Amino acid sequence: MKLYLQWIKTLLHKPNKYIALRRYSIFKELSSFELYLLNNFMHHRSFKSGELLFDKGYPLEVIYFIEKGEIEVHRNVHSQSSMKLGKNQFIGLIDMFYESTRNSQAVAQTDVVAVAISCSDFMHLLKSNPRMGTKVLTGVCKSFSSTIFHLSNPIEERDEAK
Amino acid sequence: MKLSRLVFYLFFTVVLILAVFFYRWIFSNLILAIVLSYILDPFVSWFEQRHFPRWLSVVSVYLLIAGVIAWFTSQFIPDLVAQGNNLFDLIKNGDKLTGLYIVNMPFLRGIYDFLLNLDKQIPGLNIAPQVVEILDSTNSYLASIPKLLTDNYKSILSTISLIATIPLLSFFLLKDKYKLRKAAMEFSTNRYFELCIILLRKIDDTVGTYLRAMLFEVIAVGFMASIAFSIVGVSYPILIGATAGVANVIPYFGPIVGVAMAATSILLAGGSLTTIIYAAIAMYIVQVIDNNIVYPLVVGGTISMHPLLVLLTVLAGGWYGGILWMLIAVPLVYISYSLIRVLYTNLKDFKII
Repeated sequence: MKLYLQWIKTLLHKPNKYIALRRYSIFKELSSFELYLLNNFMHHRSFKSGELLFDKGYPLEVIYFIEKGEIEVHRNVHSQSSMKLGKNQFIGLIDMFYESTRNSQAVAQTDVVAVAISCSDFMHLLKSNPRMGTKVLTGVCKSFSSTIFHLSNPIEERDEAK
Repeated sequence: MKLSRLVFYLFFTVVLILAVFFYRWIFSNLILAIVLSYILDPFVSWFEQRHFPRWLSVVSVYLLIAGVIAWFTSQFIPDLVAQGNNLFDLIKNGDKLTGLYIVNMPFLRGIYDFLLNLDKQIPGLNIAPQVVEILDSTNSYLASIPKLLTDNYKSILSTISLIATIPLLSFFLLKDKYKLRKAAMEFSTNRYFELCIILLRKIDDTVGTYLRAMLFEVIAVGFMASIAFSIVGVSYPILIGATAGVANVIPYFGPIVGVAMAATSILLAGGSLTTIIYAAIAMYIVQVIDNNIVYPLVVGGTISMHPLLVLLTVLAGGWYGGILWMLIAVPLVYISYSLIRVLYTNLKDFKII
């Protein structure tokens, strides 16, 4: 009888298809149901090396979460200053709260695989699921704190703090 | 362009044309199923937010609707059918409803006398007999409607069976909503991806909000008009109120249809001019409530279309496809206009044009 129950349990228990989304820091705390809701709005995109993800001045509509590859983000197209983003990082989330157009240009440095979600869908999802919203916003705050900490403290001080 | 890519696109186009040709008969059903799924989607999402699997959410909504329809049928349909049958009996009664009988009704008698006087004063005009003749031919056409229904029962049955497929199609559209959206987005290239996302959202917002608002308005106006007409003393209030609710889909002209039907019903029942005026006032009050409370609450604004454009659209719809197109022409034009505006703005923003 116990074996039958175990067998039925294995039949009912489906592996969590969306667990991969937890590798992004802001989704770490989400439950499997919340990941399922999120995944409904996610779109898989592939970019060839050298392909443009978006340009400065484009409407800010989508947040990209990088699954594979590397992208280069130029704040000013003519300047040399740029930032590289790789696996498990994302772009578009910070701007989403502040601007409606892109203030940078992103180009794939290698072949890139990313998942994309519309800012409006994302905000709608967070508003209609307040618990999920709290978890994601906590994740966003942690990400911001970490970025600010890294920017404001020189490398030596950080090493000393450790 | 590479030859292999060209061959693929050619092959794809041929398959698409063949698919359109093969499925052309069910296009109207598919459109109606899409309309139904847009209306039901918020309810399905409500269940989904409460941890119901998507398929179970759809089933729950269907069961709830079935329950509401069953309750509504038991409460109102017997009255509606009785009123419809009475109206049909009146129309079928050709001996009674001749042209001469209609012109001798209390309110029309004066107009008929005026026309007779006109005929006497202008020799050869003969307008009064022509009016009687027109009324006679209209009456004989109306009297043939029940016969038309019985003669064409096979095509009516096949139409009903086609209509029955709409909830089934809608079930799959609702259940696989996200899969279908993702599949549609797969077709877009990276250059157009964000533009397609914006358009999809705009379609969702405009079409969904408009259709749900329209349905709510039809029910609200139908309900209010039925109550108002029964208070005033119009015959067949539920039937005429329900028709006025559906006709209300046409902005500006829908309410006139409601009043015209009520006036016809009052005249057929031998009512007075005062009752017609009361019916018009009742419909006006319904419209005031609708325009100032119901519509702004549901949609948050009104259709910003000029009355002249609405008139032209309704007329063009009527010429193109009869009453059905008169009903859907205005929303169709409004939705198309909104989408073209969004498309144009975003094509410019994404530096595509």
